[in-house]
Amino acid sequence: MKSWMCWVCWEVISVTLCKLSLRNARRQARDYLVYFVTVILSAALIHAFNGLVFSQELRALSSFMSSLPLITVLVSAVVIAIMGWLIRYIMNFMLSRRSRELGTYILIGLENGQVARLFILENLATGAAALSVGLLLGGLFFQILRAVTLSLFHMPYTFRLSASPKAVALTIAYFAVIYLLALRSCGKRLRRMQIRELLSYDRRGEEEAIQSSRGRRRVFTVSIASGILGTLLLLSGSLLMGIMGAALVIFFLYGFFLSFSSGVPAYFNARPGKKYGTHTLLVFRTLSFKLGTMGMTMATISLLFTGTIVSEGAGMLFGVLFQSRVEGTTCCDIFIGTTDGAPADFGPYLDYIEENIPLRGSRQYRLYQGETRQMTDYLLERTDYYAYYAYDPLMAYSDYAALRAMLGYPEAPAEPGRYIIHCMAYLENALEDYDTSVSVGGTTLSPGAIYTESFSQKLWDGNGRGFLLVVPDECLSSRPVSHSVYAAMTLEPLSEADYDRLRDIHDGAGEDSGQGHARDSYFLLAKDAVAREYASVSATTIFPLFYLALVLTLVSATILTVQQLSQGPRLARQFGLLEKLGMDRREMARTLRRQLAVYYAMPAVPPLLISIPLLVAMGHSFEPGAISGDWQLAGILGVTLGLFFLIYLVYILTAYSSLKRSVLPG
Amino acid sequence: MLQVQAIEKYYGSRNNVTKALDRVSFDVAEGEFIAIMGASGSGKTTLLNCISTIDTVSAGHILLNGQDISELPQQELARFRRERLGFVFQDFNLLDTLTLEENIGLALTINHMDPNLVRDRVQDVAMRLGIDDILEKFPTQVSGGQKQRAACARAMVAGQSLILADEPTGALDSRASKNLLEIMAKMNREMRATILMVTHDAYSASYASRVLFLKDGRLFNELLRGKRARAAVYHEILDVLGLLGGDIRDVM
Repeated sequence: MKSWMCWVCWEVISVTLCKLSLRNARRQARDYLVYFVTVILSAALIHAFNGLVFSQELRALSSFMSSLPLITVLVSAVVIAIMGWLIRYIMNFMLSRRSRELGTYILIGLENGQVARLFILENLATGAAALSVGLLLGGLFFQILRAVTLSLFHMPYTFRLSASPKAVALTIAYFAVIYLLALRSCGKRLRRMQIRELLSYDRRGEEEAIQSSRGRRRVFTVSIASGILGTLLLLSGSLLMGIMGAALVIFFLYGFFLSFSSGVPAYFNARPGKKYGTHTLLVFRTLSFKLGTMGMTMATISLLFTGTIVSEGAGMLFGVLFQSRVEGTTCCDIFIGTTDGAPADFGPYLDYIEENIPLRGSRQYRLYQGETRQMTDYLLERTDYYAYYAYDPLMAYSDYAALRAMLGYPEAPAEPGRYIIHCMAYLENALEDYDTSVSVGGTTLSPGAIYTESFSQKLWDGNGRGFLLVVPDECLSSRPVSHSVYAAMTLEPLSEADYDRLRDIHDGAGEDSGQGHARDSYFLLAKDAVAREYASVSATTIFPLFYLALVLTLVSATILTVQQLSQGPRLARQFGLLEKLGMDRREMARTLRRQLAVYYAMPAVPPLLISIPLLVAMGHSFEPGAISGDWQLAGILGVTLGLFFLIYLVYILTAYSSLKRSVLPG
Repeated sequence: MLQVQAIEKYYGSRNNVTKALDRVSFDVAEGEFIAIMGASGSGKTTLLNCISTIDTVSAGHILLNGQDISELPQQELARFRRERLGFVFQDFNLLDTLTLEENIGLALTINHMDPNLVRDRVQDVAMRLGIDDILEKFPTQVSGGQKQRAACARAMVAGQSLILADEPTGALDSRASKNLLEIMAKMNREMRATILMVTHDAYSASYASRVLFLKDGRLFNELLRGKRARAAVYHEILDVLGLLGGDIRDVM
């Protein structure tokens, strides 16, 4: 009878606890809406990328795509670690905010274990709800990834909503790991805590916030110096210096944010005229108080923001680099050339092409050696150019006109007594000022029109390295041959199978002809094969970089916003007092805006100062012509920062509109 | 200096109206120290809120130096508060994130005073209130009495003509209360500060030159100190409170 009564009592308590947990979970989702939405979005991103891991359709696009699952899983591991940090951080934060409530449960007779279970249950409930919505949303995100990947391969996209059970299972497994680890740690802490500790847990850290010391002030000065030095070392280009630079930058971020609450007040204390400016006092004190309690978090967020901007910027830069390689490597569907002036035999290739590949047009032609290398020297002096030939390469006008017609470019009329320059776009500015005549086969020609369409000029064995001079056919009768080329345009995109077969012919060329290393005398390029290769490289590098960047932005902005929104009661008291002291309402709104602007700018400014020079240096380190000029680089930086600040701004505006409603009087 | 003319204040909806103040009238002369006493719900804080322009009156007029503050527009009200009124609250209302110096200086900053003069002005007032040696400390690092003295300094640093104090000793122990009241009396006596103090505490009220008693929103009685000793006034206040009845904690 007694044991039956105990069982009934336990059942009643369990049901009540479950109800309480669910009610608290609902309240938690409402109070921490920003966090809840971020967990949903992160779950959606993780699930979408898990979809990539298991997609046979995307993996079959190219043999280069086989590395995509491994890379995605590796990046997911980093994402899981960051998500784990967010969830653990927010749980601890909730624990400190709700410690009085949890302490009261123990005070009215619940056991520590029951309260821990309550806390775990409600967090599991919100996590499960976020995961469920995230899985649905992730299905849609995966469709976006699928569409982008297919478009990279110029394949048609059709919407097909399907859930991969393996991807769903992997996403659930990731979340289970994150939540179990975070909840285990919180549960342990709750089981050990005394009522008194719980009731005063929310005041913890406030005393630390107002600590000030000479040591910290020194750290503040040293950290700023190390930040400047670290950035300079990162830009040096040397690996060792770069590692030292990265270490100094990390020291700067942590040193700066941990010492800010001492360093900046000391600065203002020495300058009371600046301190008592209209908004300065409230803005810098609120900020230094906040940094006193969350300096470590702010430094970590700043580090994550640096990672975000660098990842996004690198993704954009790689995208442009790969695009330029696709466009610059060859403009022809099939491009076979010799590497020297020896007589060319394209027979084995042509036999296969004639039999198997329908063509729109083709041409065999030669490039010739110029008498001088004056244009090469001119470019070397003035631009970022690397030379390959010991002469300026020449092409006959008849070949040039035929190639332009085959490629669908507008006609380039020959001008008597002049030569045409065809160069890569980035060299055009320098060559516009070139006014030196050239002598070919006894004829002197002066510079004529310049054309910059894609013309297989990026690599050394194409139509010149970066440029070529087009001269009348008759001038070339006595010039030695530089190399020979067979170029063709196909009616249909060249399939991977046809390209593989041509590659087999190329690889077997030496053995078939019995000429030893003859295969090294030929090179084979196919526009679609190059595009497929770079599409795969883009998918395996740019996607993970953006995946990482998005999650980093969401996680960091969420922590900042949750922290800021938790300041609501404190700010309401502050503005209530300011109203009584006679501050104008418009001025109060301005003060709030400044407080928020400085709070959100603080962790974003150091990453900007570090990542912008780093991305500029990265852009300049690419092969010449990959980025067509400073404007393009500025555009890439603009889009990178625009994307970052767009997401960040959503969080800032959410915090501002919420605080404006809740803390400003009236 | 201050004229309160037949003010009324109603709360609630049409079907459930509560009359918080009922035709309350009195005058405050410059340099006076007035205490307002009454039981919980008698309308003391409502009266103080109306005078401080935090709340509006339903009827009647409040004139400060001849200016009707109930007719001032929103922006003028803010200006009026920062230039003419000083506040001392029961819970100090100091910002935890600012040092005492900055809390006091805040009133000057809001008044757009030349930032270079703020520190000197704060130090001058702090010295007179005996807190000049703790100006660098934060509110969490000082005692309740010191916090309340800082609040007093803030209430008068900008040269405000009327100091409104709402239960200023409510959160202090008896020693700190006595200390604060003596400082307020000194502010009144030596710096010619006009003080209007709401309090439950007969001991606190005995420092005032005049005591007004409120009951159910009406002015019930008035006690002038004159040249009598504070102890005598204290006992007289207790007598009036006995007549008032209700639930005044200090009497009980």
